[in-house]
Amino acid sequence: MTSPVIGFAGLTHLGLVSAVGTASKGFRVVGYDADGARVRDIAAGRMPVVEPGLDDMARKFSKNLSYTDRLGDLGACDIVYVSTDVPTNERGESDLAVIGGLVAKVIPALGPHSLLVILCQVPPGFTRGLPLPSERLFYQVETLVFGRAVERATQPERFIVGCADPQRPLPAPFGALLGAFGCPILPMRYESAELAKIAINCCLVASVSVANTLAELSERIGADWNEIAPALRLDRRIGAYSYLAPGLGIAGGNLERDLATVLKLSEAAGSEASVIAAFVRNSRHRKDWALRVVHREVLTRKPDATFGVLGLAYKENTHSTKNSPSLELIQHLTSWPIRVYDPVVPASAAPHPAVTAAATPLEAARDADALMIMTPWPEFRAVSPRALADTMAGRVVIDPFRVLEPAAAQAAGLSHFVLGTSSGSLG
Amino acid sequence: MLEHAQGEPITPTRVVVIGAGGFVGGAIVRRLTRDGVPVHGLTRKEVDLLADGAADRLAAALAADDSVVFVSALAPARTPAMLVQNLRMAEAVGQAVAARPVAHVVYVSSDAVYADDANPVTERSSCQPSSLHGMMHAARELMLRTDVKAPLAILRPSLLYGARDPHNGYGPNRFRRLAEKGEPITLFGEGEEQRDHVFIDDVSQLAALVLAHRSRGILNIATGASTSFRDIAQKVVALAGSKSEIRGTPRQNPITHRHFDIADCLKAFPKFRYTPLNDGLARAMQPE
Repeated sequence: MTSPVIGFAGLTHLGLVSAVGTASKGFRVVGYDADGARVRDIAAGRMPVVEPGLDDMARKFSKNLSYTDRLGDLGACDIVYVSTDVPTNERGESDLAVIGGLVAKVIPALGPHSLLVILCQVPPGFTRGLPLPSERLFYQVETLVFGRAVERATQPERFIVGCADPQRPLPAPFGALLGAFGCPILPMRYESAELAKIAINCCLVASVSVANTLAELSERIGADWNEIAPALRLDRRIGAYSYLAPGLGIAGGNLERDLATVLKLSEAAGSEASVIAAFVRNSRHRKDWALRVVHREVLTRKPDATFGVLGLAYKENTHSTKNSPSLELIQHLTSWPIRVYDPVVPASAAPHPAVTAAATPLEAARDADALMIMTPWPEFRAVSPRALADTMAGRVVIDPFRVLEPAAAQAAGLSHFVLGTSSGSLG
Repeated sequence: MLEHAQGEPITPTRVVVIGAGGFVGGAIVRRLTRDGVPVHGLTRKEVDLLADGAADRLAAALAADDSVVFVSALAPARTPAMLVQNLRMAEAVGQAVAARPVAHVVYVSSDAVYADDANPVTERSSCQPSSLHGMMHAARELMLRTDVKAPLAILRPSLLYGARDPHNGYGPNRFRRLAEKGEPITLFGEGEEQRDHVFIDDVSQLAALVLAHRSRGILNIATGASTSFRDIAQKVVALAGSKSEIRGTPRQNPITHRHFDIADCLKAFPKFRYTPLNDGLARAMQPE
């Protein structure tokens, strides 16, 4: 059998990384996107996403990669993955119109024996409803992680494949493709695979929610969650890679999307899902952690306070401000002067009528009554707590992600507030 | 969560306070008057909401650009008869504002609408009253949602204290009076239960803010800090310079606590500050 040719419809973050990862395994890959400008940029090596290792890998395997905005070019592929983004509405529910529209365009372009694989986050039942003979139709779970996407695309832990009949062997080209990655392949019915993706995220949310719940309790009873979490990781039943770092609620829209999907499906099916609703409630509560600390520790004592904010981005190493905890906080502090610094996001992104841009972290902290470190950019770890204490007017540093070393912050005389410990109030 | 129709505060044309003779209504009237807001206070003397024709009489007292604060209640509603009377009062108010639409309605409800185990309580906590009083407020809220076409704000205060409190219920108000007389303060159990006690002036200030912003939605009125009844008793005795003994009693019921997450209030009114408990208790003990 000649090596199968693999297509990717939708050169999104997921589609692009998956295409390059597949090319790295020696397969010829056709990347399709309707956006011609995007296709030309990618073909010229100008990647629209920032992902460690992606640019180098795309260059190294460029002979295996071709990019196109012509749908017909997918006709030469043995397998076509649908890898578009599935947007969510304000309730966190998936809007399936985009993927539905793309699939409707891709199916007529397929070769007569080509396989179609849905690689996007879709609710259980979606794949089975598509108008293609079931022996040519598959769903595959993706587990993209921003910042680690290349690693996950080239060294997957396993493949979870949804199909009409899990007892039947996978078609030869599909088996050859997945087999090249050398990891377990778990075929299951479509609905199981679609729910498996959601189940993975629910388990992650469960861990994070436990961490967030007990981190808050730690803050109130004199414990330190940051001392507890490493002990849990050494428990084999919990695991070294479990999601136990406390956060400001559940970060990222995809996890919230899956919770919304489970709630909606459970409501329709009559199954009990109150624990999922509790995850959502707890997340919403913890998102306001920094706002509560600001009011309790700063504004009740100094109603005319001024603030410094380090970080605007959603997380470190990204330009994205979608779901940014920093912006969420700043929008509720528009009555007070704020000076901000972020290594890549401009100050104008802050939802504040009179924000001042700072050129350095210390400049953002100058004369501030309180400093909030809202994105854990690596460069903030180099900021000296003593220098902060010297330049700030006040002593409060609200540092949910523990960017500063707590002992050093306290030694510098700062009142250092981090998630999961009450030590700040003792500082 | 409250939404403000007016991002910047605007003095209401006139505020009609239904229940102006009560503890909360009186405080709101005094606050608005001090702020220079035209106020028309209605007590049972002007409009008895349980009398025949109450809705018509109330409607006649209303103008299209009025803001209405409905705070009148037979409280606490301990009996089915009181529940029904309170609902009839709300029916009359609903009929009046349906017949004579106004610009804004503020209803002063209670945190008794929430489930007993809703901790920490937020504006999104389940309404699951365990008392007739809570059910009364929950039902009145629904009645008003049905009848009121104007923006409707529902305020749900926690336990209130202040010099003019008429109920003398278990808590700061009774403890203060006992301490002033040097009489013993008797606690349920050892007074371990933590509750969120709100100074009456904070209610009137928040009501004034809600009126000025023409807000709609739900706002809990709670400080975000809960204190045990024993601590309250000790603070009150100390403030009064009293020799009142604080006595525990054998516990009859399990200990329950109530805490609030007040993030919604911090977002709706970022500059508003609740009166700290020590300051509020001290002010409640000053003769007005």
